Amino acid sequence: MVKSWLGQAAAIGILTTEFPRRPADPEELPAAARAPGAGPVALASLPPEVRAACPTGAISLTEIDQGKCVRCARCLPAGLVPAPDASANLGSRAGLRWPDGRPPGGTGPAPLAELGPSLHVFLVDVGSCQGCNLEVMGLANPYYDLHRLGMFFTNSPRHADVLVVVGVPTAAMVEPLRRTFEAMPAPKAVLAVGACAIDGGIFAEAPGRAAAVGEIVPVDLYVAGCPPAPVAILEGILALGRRRSRGPAP
Amino acid sequence: MSRPGWTEVAAGRPPGSGARSLAYVSPEGDLALWNDHEEHRTLLVRRPELSAEERAVLGNWRAGRSGPAVVSVGEQVHGYGVFTFPYGPVAMGVAEAGGFEVRTYGERILEIEPSVGHKRRGIEEQVVGKTVEDAALWIERRAGPFALSHAAAFRFAAESAAGRPVAERELGVRALGQELQRIYNHLHVLARLAEAASQNVGAAQLNALAESALRALGATFGHRWGFGALVPGAPGRRLDAPDRTDLEARLRRLGSEFEALGETLLGSRTFLDRIQSTGTVSTEDALRWGAVGPTLRASSVAWDDRLRDPTIPYREMFVPVVTERAGDALARVLVRREEVRGSLLLIEQLLDRWPRLGGGEAAPVEAIEPGRGIARGEGPSGDLVYDVRVSEGRIRSVASRTPSQANWPLVALSLRGAVFTDFAFSFESFGASFAETDG
Ligand code: SF4
Ligand code: SF4
Repeated sequence: MVKSWLGQAAAIGILTTEFPRRPADPEELPAAARAPGAGPVALASLPPEVRAACPTGAISLTEIDQGKCVRCARCLPAGLVPAPDASANLGSRAGLRWPDGRPPGGTGPAPLAELGPSLHVFLVDVGSCQGCNLEVMGLANPYYDLHRLGMFFTNSPRHADVLVVVGVPTAAMVEPLRRTFEAMPAPKAVLAVGACAIDGGIFAEAPGRAAAVGEIVPVDLYVAGCPPAPVAILEGILALGRRRSRGPAP
Repeated sequence: MSRPGWTEVAAGRPPGSGARSLAYVSPEGDLALWNDHEEHRTLLVRRPELSAEERAVLGNWRAGRSGPAVVSVGEQVHGYGVFTFPYGPVAMGVAEAGGFEVRTYGERILEIEPSVGHKRRGIEEQVVGKTVEDAALWIERRAGPFALSHAAAFRFAAESAAGRPVAERELGVRALGQELQRIYNHLHVLARLAEAASQNVGAAQLNALAESALRALGATFGHRWGFGALVPGAPGRRLDAPDRTDLEARLRRLGSEFEALGETLLGSRTFLDRIQSTGTVSTEDALRWGAVGPTLRASSVAWDDRLRDPTIPYREMFVPVVTERAGDALARVLVRREEVRGSLLLIEQLLDRWPRLGGGEAAPVEAIEPGRGIARGEGPSGDLVYDVRVSEGRIRSVASRTPSQANWPLVALSLRGAVFTDFAFSFESFGASFAETDG
């Protein structure tokens, strides 16, 4: 039995991505998982219908708020172009606001050598559609194999270094989120993954939304997308690992 | 009302005493649908009268609408030494914001009640007043893994309400997207079960196959979960001849790897031991509690909504309906395995006839009443119902009954008397989702 499993595994061969040694390819990062940015047309000269059609009000005359954007691609035919890079999805809350639709500063893919000791990741869902959960959990599949980077999912917040939060917090999940964070030993970091966890995303005005994740726990880094592609989430966790190896966040 | 596969019967209770199950009751209570399992048709009843049992079924579908509540299938068990412990809403074994109230006196689960409503965002309330195209953005984000079955059923219902025809090609896109997503979901469930049984190599391979299904969706629709895929003329779509050839090649690869994997997995005694006779659902319970999808079909009932799908792709293709008898987790696994094969076959037929999919328009199905449409569809975990009112191009109301809502009572029943170590094998085999339940 064991023989045939391994035989099949050998027949399938190596699937694991070279990312983050090299940039993500379209297989790993389809257009709708990328950040829309200004193309040849300046934001201010976009037809007003483009702003009106954006379901989350992410496009203003002066900036694109990647944190609000749900990657619905409605604005793409009108002159916005998807960013090529997974790291374009990362930032602080302010860093996700792109003046004139351009990224405020580069956070290129990480050299592996900078990564700190092994990281244990705990996932908490506070009201997601499950898309973000599954993209986070997908990091364990052979295509991404986060174990090769010294990262592991853990079953308990008490063993976790990184808390990954997905979903839009409902009233029922505010306390469980706070308690989960408190149960983690220091030093700890929080990664908010997906539009819902950043600023409510498509559910920013939903009757069931109680708060923003950042109002309940301190968020270190945000990964934009709806959902973000696994490579973007991986970038996010890597970035936290780097920061941790250098001491507390500034 | 005349509609293929549907029969409207007189107000009150549906006639006869044959095998049937409740499929939908509108929030206003003015209309209900039953599945007639003998004639294989949907019965539509206005001003329905529900039996006490059916009211209990309906109560469970609606649990959690105003905050966390439990799905219950009978009197609570009490007694000396019996204690209740909550599992979730933050637990890696559930992997979602949802949980269970478990009553036990030690090793065995006396009773388990799914605790739903933690994720209630209020989507159906929020879309009122929006255009159909806008509302679709919200509806498809109710449950990512089932986005396409929701988006399709919602669109069919809205088109029926508005009397708006659909381009025939769009019908093909809807079928293609839904079948791809079914493949993903079945692979994901099988992977979760293999993980639970510590079949690590097999689980890794199944997870890799699930990822390749997501990549096929991503390559075809520009989005791994198919959000926005059903927007007519969506910019992310890649469906030209070379793209279809590429998709065929991906699916051929997926199919042959899946065949080898399926053989090995089901040849593994350790795996079979865990799922055989685990989480058994009787035909009687399945019908009584309104089970749907693989859960229903694994308990001997041959109901698959794709057979009654009035739209061209399904009407003109061979839809294999898979049933099993045992009603246990193994039976659900076997149904899912056959359905992966079935979906691959359907996509093959669909891509074959793609160039001939006309550029014409298909008339919408007849409205239930002016401005109100009801549509059904077969999602990966079972059939779903959307009931939509539209006037002047705006949504006036949306109501639904999802597969997850329908199947929770069976999750609960299947775990009565089980030992804790069976939990994952039973729970995962249903493919129930808290996100889809809560809305
Ligand atoms: S892709 Fe983002 S910015 Fe563009 S319309 Fe959609 S939500 Fe708005
Ligand atoms: S951000 Fe998008 S994918 Fe993630 S939970 Fe919210 S709706 Fe789902």
